[in-house]
Amino acid sequence: MNETDPDAELVARVGAEEPGAVREMVARKLPRLLALATRMLGDREEANDVAQEAFVRIWKEASRWQQGPARFDTWLHRVALNLCYDRLRSGSRSGSSSVSSAGSRRERGMTDDIPEAVDPAPLPDERMSESERNERIKAALAALPARQREALVLQYYQELSNVEAAQLMGISVDALESLLSRARRNLRGHLAGERDGSGTPLPKKERREESR
Amino acid sequence: MTSMTPERFRQLTEAYGALPDHWPQEERAAAQALLAQHDPQALAAIEEALQLDEYLESFAVPAPDTHLIRRIIASAPAAAAPRRASSFWRQPRLWFSGAGLIGAGVAGIAAGTMAISLTGSPAGTATNSNALGMIDQSYGGTVFSSTPPDWSDQ
Repeated sequence: MNETDPDAELVARVGAEEPGAVREMVARKLPRLLALATRMLGDREEANDVAQEAFVRIWKEASRWQQGPARFDTWLHRVALNLCYDRLRSGSRSGSSSVSSAGSRRERGMTDDIPEAVDPAPLPDERMSESERNERIKAALAALPARQREALVLQYYQELSNVEAAQLMGISVDALESLLSRARRNLRGHLAGERDGSGTPLPKKERREESR
Repeated sequence: MTSMTPERFRQLTEAYGALPDHWPQEERAAAQALLAQHDPQALAAIEEALQLDEYLESFAVPAPDTHLIRRIIASAPAAAAPRRASSFWRQPRLWFSGAGLIGAGVAGIAAGTMAISLTGSPAGTATNSNALGMIDQSYGGTVFSSTPPDWSDQ
């Protein structure tokens, strides 16, 4: 990763307090930070707080930022993830009962010891509203162990390469791939299990079994 | 181009999903080539991964709201410095304390003038200089100052 950091010039301008640089940095980074924190925490208000705290770190670091082996965006992702983990560890949540239940799920999610879905069924493919799908995937993502969720969020939603995501998480690419596979398997299990619990029979898995 | 087996293709889709852009760069071309051959196992793996991708895609995050954007911009030192300076006149306590210092300076000038007239000593000149100097120091970092304020400790 020796190529030029695409954010280096803007960071320098923020550090020099150039007019417009702050707004440009917010426009460039806030949506990504907010998406990361929202999907990691499952709570918009907390994600807003994390994004704001991450920007305070940017303002502090900008004037002394020097291009090194890690890109600015990678550093920023690490800052935001650390802030998310602080909140996941504290488990201190206030608000509605749905938020509280999400909080308790997240506390469980700090460990990697939930039983994995061994052979999840295919997902139900009947039509459902977009908001219903949204709620289901949010719940399934929140139920994942935090490291699996982190891997999936970085690779799928933040669109980091496997090398970047592994570097950011401090693990090998193989370990990342393993986390991603388990994350997706657990998501499938959670989503299929919801349908199972509702009384609708799950489709058979002929195709899957044929391929093995 | 590295070769791609159906087994490895399934591993790829189970980890990275159905979108080729998400696959590892060094394996992407080989995986796409296998797919182009309509390998039945690869097609099945893709379809399965696609189902989950569609769920994942539905977790949309709304755009940041304007209040948050404003709060963040206001938290930047570059935004804070001029705003603090312009808010000087909106803070009565500061304004009155400034007026008080000006009053003290005028009183000092008067006292110095009186000292000169009473003693004829040049020490009174120093008193005047100090009084004016105090005014200058008091307004450092405000709208009256030519040098920018140092907010580094804020």
